[in-house]
Amino acid sequence: MSDLDRSRPPARGTFADFDFPAVDRTRLPTGLDLRVARLHRLPVVSLNLFMRASEAALSSANAGLAVATADTIEGGTRKRSGSALAEALEGIGARMSASAGWEGTSLSLSCLAVRLPEALAIVAEAVLQPGFPDDEVERVREQQLAAIRQRLMDPSSLATDSANERFFADHVPWARPIGGSADSVAKIDSAEMSAWAEANFRPERGGLVVAGDVDPGEVAAMVLDHFGDWTGAPANEARFEVAARTTERRIHVVHRPGSVQSEIRIGHLGTRRSDPDYYALSIANMVLGGMFTSRLNLNLRERNGFTYGVRSRFVLRTAPGPFRVSTSVGNDVTASAVYEIMNELEAMAEVGPTEAEVTAARDYAAGIFGLQLETAGQIATRVSQLVVYDLPDHHFDEYRDRVRAVDAEAAAAAARRHIRPHEAQIVLVGDAGVIASDLEALDLGPVDVVGGGA
Amino acid sequence: MTRLSIDFERHRLDNGLKVVLAPDPTVPIVAANLWYGVGSRNEQEGKTGFAHLFEHMMFQGSANVPKNRHFELIEGVGGTLNATTWFDRTNYFETVPSVDLELALWLESDRMGWMLPAMTQEKLDNQREVVKNEKRQRYDNQPYGDWDERVQRLVYPESHPYHHTVIGSMEDIDGATLDDVRSFFETFYVPNNAVLTLAGDIDPRRALDAVKRYFGEIEPGADIPALPGDPDVGARIGTTVRDHVVSDVPLPRVIMAFRVPPFSSDDFAVARVTGALLGTGRAARFYRRLVRERRIAKSVVTYVYPLLTGQSMMLVWATGYPDTAPAALEAAMSEEIAALRSAEEREVHRAIALTETDLVRTLERLSERADLLSMYDLYFDEPDRLNQELDRLRAVELDQIREFVEERLGEDNRAIVTYEPEADR
Repeated sequence: MSDLDRSRPPARGTFADFDFPAVDRTRLPTGLDLRVARLHRLPVVSLNLFMRASEAALSSANAGLAVATADTIEGGTRKRSGSALAEALEGIGARMSASAGWEGTSLSLSCLAVRLPEALAIVAEAVLQPGFPDDEVERVREQQLAAIRQRLMDPSSLATDSANERFFADHVPWARPIGGSADSVAKIDSAEMSAWAEANFRPERGGLVVAGDVDPGEVAAMVLDHFGDWTGAPANEARFEVAARTTERRIHVVHRPGSVQSEIRIGHLGTRRSDPDYYALSIANMVLGGMFTSRLNLNLRERNGFTYGVRSRFVLRTAPGPFRVSTSVGNDVTASAVYEIMNELEAMAEVGPTEAEVTAARDYAAGIFGLQLETAGQIATRVSQLVVYDLPDHHFDEYRDRVRAVDAEAAAAAARRHIRPHEAQIVLVGDAGVIASDLEALDLGPVDVVGGGA
Repeated sequence: MTRLSIDFERHRLDNGLKVVLAPDPTVPIVAANLWYGVGSRNEQEGKTGFAHLFEHMMFQGSANVPKNRHFELIEGVGGTLNATTWFDRTNYFETVPSVDLELALWLESDRMGWMLPAMTQEKLDNQREVVKNEKRQRYDNQPYGDWDERVQRLVYPESHPYHHTVIGSMEDIDGATLDDVRSFFETFYVPNNAVLTLAGDIDPRRALDAVKRYFGEIEPGADIPALPGDPDVGARIGTTVRDHVVSDVPLPRVIMAFRVPPFSSDDFAVARVTGALLGTGRAARFYRRLVRERRIAKSVVTYVYPLLTGQSMMLVWATGYPDTAPAALEAAMSEEIAALRSAEEREVHRAIALTETDLVRTLERLSERADLLSMYDLYFDEPDRLNQELDRLRAVELDQIREFVEERLGEDNRAIVTYEPEADR
């Protein structure tokens, strides 16, 4: 035992890259894009059905309709009530959920693999023959209105929603909260949901992903059985040019009296998933605020003790989403935290990461990619990303090589192009009476204070 | 019916460290997981929150690992890591490519054996601020953020180790000293108070050799001291106790808590199945009746805590709509609880079918698999309970559920915390 040298970490073995599972892809005659990944670890299966029925295709007057419609899928079909639908699924140990976002509507199912034939029949019924009974529609509408109220009083959600509003011009859908407003949601009814689903629950530009202990040929036959008559493309398309609300740097305080912390969001218009800088920018962001040992976290948490944690993120969509730094800090250090964040943004934009930082981030990104291919659900999610963002089939086969090819120069160039501290919108939710004057003193730009609680 | 079985072998080093090895070569990664038999229940009066603060200190370096290096090294191989503190235990875990198993063993053994030489006042001051910000962010600045503090005060008497929360109080966190860190480490962070589980792409013989090499020379500690306070507590609270809170919450919420048999009891499975009848899935009674049919609740939640000390706790809560009267919501919940006496076999089958899928999906993740094996070994000296869990649930009979509802969910065993929005909201 005495021969063990504890003074240095053990030497690394050779990392065994493992392949992304093979994906069997079939385009059904009806236009449905079916992708099946066969896995043998445990007897489970995960299914994702993605349809491009997107909240971004709605005007602000109709905002929240895609979200509400997805939430009402579990409310029953033309053949059975919501309770009967839940009984049928859960009786065979299947969990189904549906949700809508800025890219579309997703329906997910997990169950033991032997239960897939029964579960798939129910999923098809839920999507192709949704019932939208009045009482379930009313319930979902009331729940969504209550959720809007909750978001307004939750400092973290309020900060994120306020930041999106500051980052994007009014006509950009994601300037508004995903669930819509009290006005737009209050008028949603069963007829509107039925019309939305009829027009937009369509196979084209979407896809069905199945991952698990299944036979791809058998899955294709089952899918054909249940979705054989399903055709067409979504009628409502998202059409807009993403634009920033402003490029003038401002501080925006949402006053929440009595707050014992300030929620901080700093950022601006970001970029799209298909940006050629994708890999380099991912690495630059990891160094900035995308891992525990990022500059922001080591500064704000481990050096200064200002926060429990801080992160930065480019939210990548088919069209440019937000770039933002998010954290929550004590009242007395709010201005200091903003100052430190701005310094880190400037250093990253102007100088970029060091070679050593890039190496560390690269190793992290390449390594963690493999660690996150453990479960059927994780594989299904990855394959769904190929569908949602229209990525090439070999995207994940190449991922690690592309990540490892990023060097410091490329990461610095990407940071310079995509991180623009002089355009940053600095948004805080906190007690303005306590934090506003220190923020003024930072001299980073005009300070607006709005609101007096929720 | 699937018969799932996770293979493992058990060992014990001379210094008392328990080791569970669960090989699975299907993915080239390994989860390392350490459970220490110490949690908030071990905290002395005036030291609440210390077990959790100490958990933070375990990431501040050890004799051969400078501050931040632990994170850098694990992130550098693409690994993930974290730790959590709870009532009865503290767990530390990392998942890494299997070629980096020794890195995880080196880091975990260095802090188990040689954490104290790296401790400084500066590190303690820093992490104290981090933890205070964690408390503010997750509890103090959140609507309903103080619910668990209020519930625990009602369910457990002041003398009981669960009377206070894991996060503790700001005053106690402020009062923590380096001496506290030293004595806590020497008392609880000893190999004879821990389980190490490795799950994943390992060769058990070589993995065991490596574990012995890294952990074998760590000195065992003394026996773990008895819990402070009085862990014995009656099976029932004795009455309905209440805490009505008017505050700036968006929606009314009613939280009910009950003393239930401890995790170690044979009757704990009855509590779990009963909890699942109420709260697992959308066909469960609370969702079906309160959310879907009566539309009196916006959302419902059910927890059955797996606690060891004296009596455990079952919680149900319902969040209403802006105009829901908390008293009406409470009455509706009470009706559904009483109606459980007429539960049917079909519902039990449904709840267990869903629980089975959930368990298999949990076990897909090596980190979860390792965590459960550590738990069952630390708590019961029997990691195989993981493989018996579904059978325990399947063995629960309807009259046991009826009896449980009578004995444990009645008005003589309820703590009710009600949140009501301020009038001007």
